[in-house]
Amino acid sequence: MKKKSIIKLAALCMSSVLLFAGCGKSGQGTEETGGEGKEAAGQEVTLNLAYQYGIAYAPLGIIKEQKLIEKAYEEATGGKVTVNWNQMSSGADINTGISGGSLDGGFMGVGPAVTGVTKGVGYKIFTNLSGQEHGLMTNDENIKSFDDLIGSSNQIALVNIGSIQHIILGLALEKAGKDPHSLDSNLVAMAHPDGMTALESGNVSCHLTSSPYIFQEREESNLHEISDVTEVWGKDDSFIVGVASVKLHDENPKLYQALCDAVKQAVDFINDSPEEAAEITCEFDGNSAEDELAYIKKSKYSVETSRIFELASFMGRTEFIDTTPESYEDLVFDNVTGD
Amino acid sequence: MDEKKRKIQAIVARTLFIIAILCIWEIVAKSGIMGSNSELIFPPLEAIGAAFIRNFQTGMAGVSLWVYIGNSMALLLEGLLIGIVLAFVLSGLSMLSRVFYDIFNLVISICDLLPGVALLPVVIIIFGVKPGVIVFLVIHAVLWPMARNVLDGFLAVPRIYVEAGMNIGLKKSSLLLGVYLPAATSYIVSGLKVGWARAWRGLISAEMIFGVASCPGIGLFINQMRTNMNNAEMYATLIVIIIIGLVVQYGVLSPIEKCTVKKWGMSR
Repeated sequence: MKKKSIIKLAALCMSSVLLFAGCGKSGQGTEETGGEGKEAAGQEVTLNLAYQYGIAYAPLGIIKEQKLIEKAYEEATGGKVTVNWNQMSSGADINTGISGGSLDGGFMGVGPAVTGVTKGVGYKIFTNLSGQEHGLMTNDENIKSFDDLIGSSNQIALVNIGSIQHIILGLALEKAGKDPHSLDSNLVAMAHPDGMTALESGNVSCHLTSSPYIFQEREESNLHEISDVTEVWGKDDSFIVGVASVKLHDENPKLYQALCDAVKQAVDFINDSPEEAAEITCEFDGNSAEDELAYIKKSKYSVETSRIFELASFMGRTEFIDTTPESYEDLVFDNVTGD
Repeated sequence: MDEKKRKIQAIVARTLFIIAILCIWEIVAKSGIMGSNSELIFPPLEAIGAAFIRNFQTGMAGVSLWVYIGNSMALLLEGLLIGIVLAFVLSGLSMLSRVFYDIFNLVISICDLLPGVALLPVVIIIFGVKPGVIVFLVIHAVLWPMARNVLDGFLAVPRIYVEAGMNIGLKKSSLLLGVYLPAATSYIVSGLKVGWARAWRGLISAEMIFGVASCPGIGLFINQMRTNMNNAEMYATLIVIIIIGLVVQYGVLSPIEKCTVKKWGMSR
């Protein structure tokens, strides 16, 4: 009896050890395929990228459709690259993916990107992608400024606590001479479309959102905008940036360069011929071609960053992040221009 | 004597299992198997321990984790109570009326398959944005599995018990309380276990998607830690969730089981 139980126990321990060893091994495996392989012409490499949904990511539709990364890499090295595109739902998910080594890079809001860089996930910003309009819409006629909101029970829907929209709200509050966190207890985290529904049905009184939802909400006569937010962070300022792992940058510079070139080409294409671009990306976004074109024209696509260091310093000063970056160079790779 | 030996054996096996897992965790964390980010993905145990204490001391934005736990538990209890009472009432009604039984059975089959989180947008439109939404989702999580179990329990009551009850003159509701309910206890207890687990999971996942900052819960806390890449704090919060789950399992559900079905010899 006693012998039997000891054997059972040992078996249990062994099986748990094996289970975890298996996990560790498979983790390593993804790292190898997720990495870049060796720098040799003709050898096949893979690039795992993550993106999110919406008009702000339009250039990626072009890159994907026209295989710009593959072409740029083949031109530079003669080798082939397989690009895996993963759609994810938040910057935090992408951060986890890159820190675990299953992603080589991704595109996300500048907020989570700054968080990731300062937390030491092992990536930096390699390009700007787009700027969009943001705005705080309300369905209550009595709400005209922040003074009507602070200390009230009015609820403000936005996509996530700590999201770029939340940070922009903090910036606007600070500019208006208030405490940047004074509206934190009024926030409700919900996805953009849910927030829009909640605002329209009167379930929340305010919604802080970005394009294209902000354009749709502006067209409704019973909603009005509180302009402080619109002015503090507009479409000329960085909204979505691309990040690439330091490993990719250091170990496979040619692939890294191909990625940068592809983004540059797509951004140029969208700026030079928006009509053609809209035809391609409307499918990617699920809009009609006319709507897509209108949204593209209201966005700004550029590879040059704008005010991200200012934003990062603000985030550090107001405790959105724990560590404040010391310089712009801490946030971006050398090839990136802007401020 | 044999019973005692069996108990000690169980405790030893469980302790060894947990120690083995912790050792493996620490080895993975320290050895750098996961590459340069090992410490970020698998924070070592001492970092998680420190984060555990930090969660309760400073918490997030100056609010201790206790407050988040308190909010979550209040919503959970409210939903759990309403859900359990509703499950009893509705299952009882279906034993009294054949038509009601037919309809309710269909409703259970439909609703039990709907994940609460998928209902979230609909619930927000109908109920608005308030903590009540979470209560609704907890009720949704607990009601259907609980009702299914109670109903199955009622149906499994041997015909002879029911007839004996009728012979001594029990009618509809007294028959329900006097015969069906005690005879179905083992089903009800297992319904409670399933219902509790579903409610607890439903609560956390709803809070992670839908965060009301004026009434923040544990789900919101985890989501925040994830957004800020505070992985040690995130793991520490997961441990808190496990501890709460175990406390309810061994502190509340097991005693209930011991006082009823085990005492009555319905289950071992």
